[in-house]
Amino acid sequence: MRRAALIPTGEATVGPFFPPRYIDAGANDLTMLDGRKAKGEPIEIHGRVVQEDGAPLENLLVEIWQADAGGVYRHPADPREAQADPDFLGWGRAATDGQGNYRFRTIRPGAPAGRAPHINFMVMCSGLMRILKTAMFFEDGNDPVLLAVPPSRRSLLIAKNQYEFNIRLRGKGETPFFDD
Amino acid sequence: MLSIAVTTIIQPRDERTQPARIVPGYPQTPWRNPRQPLLRRPPTLSELTGPVGLAQRVGLLGGDIAGHGERQAIGQLIHLRARVLDEDGAPVGGTLVEMWQANAAGRYIHPNDDDHAPPDPNFYGAARLLTDASGCFELRTVKPGAYPVPTRDGWWRPPHVHFSVVGKVWLSRLVTQMYFPGEPLNAQDRLLNAVPDAAARERLVAQHVAPTGDPHNALVFEHQIVLRGRSATAQQQ
Repeated sequence: MRRAALIPTGEATVGPFFPPRYIDAGANDLTMLDGRKAKGEPIEIHGRVVQEDGAPLENLLVEIWQADAGGVYRHPADPREAQADPDFLGWGRAATDGQGNYRFRTIRPGAPAGRAPHINFMVMCSGLMRILKTAMFFEDGNDPVLLAVPPSRRSLLIAKNQYEFNIRLRGKGETPFFDD
Repeated sequence: MLSIAVTTIIQPRDERTQPARIVPGYPQTPWRNPRQPLLRRPPTLSELTGPVGLAQRVGLLGGDIAGHGERQAIGQLIHLRARVLDEDGAPVGGTLVEMWQANAAGRYIHPNDDDHAPPDPNFYGAARLLTDASGCFELRTVKPGAYPVPTRDGWWRPPHVHFSVVGKVWLSRLVTQMYFPGEPLNAQDRLLNAVPDAAARERLVAQHVAPTGDPHNALVFEHQIVLRGRSATAQQQ
């Protein structure tokens, strides 16, 4: 029999003082791990993060999570974990600069079972009481998460120009975010 | 061949236990929180996995930030014993915990902090470590000071410690703040009180406990952090 569940701890804003030393050199480069190159096609993803009035957000934290070139997650819940690329961790972190820009180097992910290739994003900043979660896709397609987005807003989750993914937290052209 | 995959179930949270997204008197929130309703999506492996082995990617700093040798930080020495659990009460071991806080005078070492209070050359205020197999971690630090928020109505943040915890899966990632018991500023703080449920707010406040043996020179606090997720064991062919 199951015990009653504990209540998850309340979230809080990351605030304006997240230590710069936690943005480790190389934390936004997923193509290398312990000096060894991950398998697959290296790509660059960049974008600008703005708030409602269009002002860029500096010092905003962006984290990503994705499958490797073969579409496998390096995690025990993935039945194909044994085939995961040992030189690809799948996680990265970046902070936006004074113009609101972030940048990652990574490997183009393969298609995980039942999904189109995609990269999970989360953003955290002063004024956001909770983490905001979204996902970037490479093209429109038959993906259960993309299909959960109203058709008129799907293009906002599809990267442009190999690969630009802008994030607008609020207002016209607002990025779709997920409530999980 | 039969293999066992550990899967995580993420259920919606009780909204009363989580902070409002737009907080009256916290000026940035109306510009930064989505206007459109958040979208529900079906859970897939992508959100129910997450980074494992982050010590390969980031540098650990340990949990003793009160000083090194003769270079002791100024302030009330405190010892925090904390534990990270999932919703089943199962320990979350080996996960990355990042902590940051102001010094005893209420000053952060960060380019965004102004010169309202003195820096302490022996205190950086950032600990980074992995939980042990039972989900526990310990910190030796000094009690953070309160500090004024740059609004014009006299809002001061009470003493608090920030925690970022990665967790087992992408959807269990948590950023939170821990408060101290008996602080008069707690009752007025807009961020702590953005959580509607009183019992949920209480769980954000550490508990003061009697010291047992070492350390004899520090106030001792205990704190529990509960990440989202319950376990399900799935059998896969």
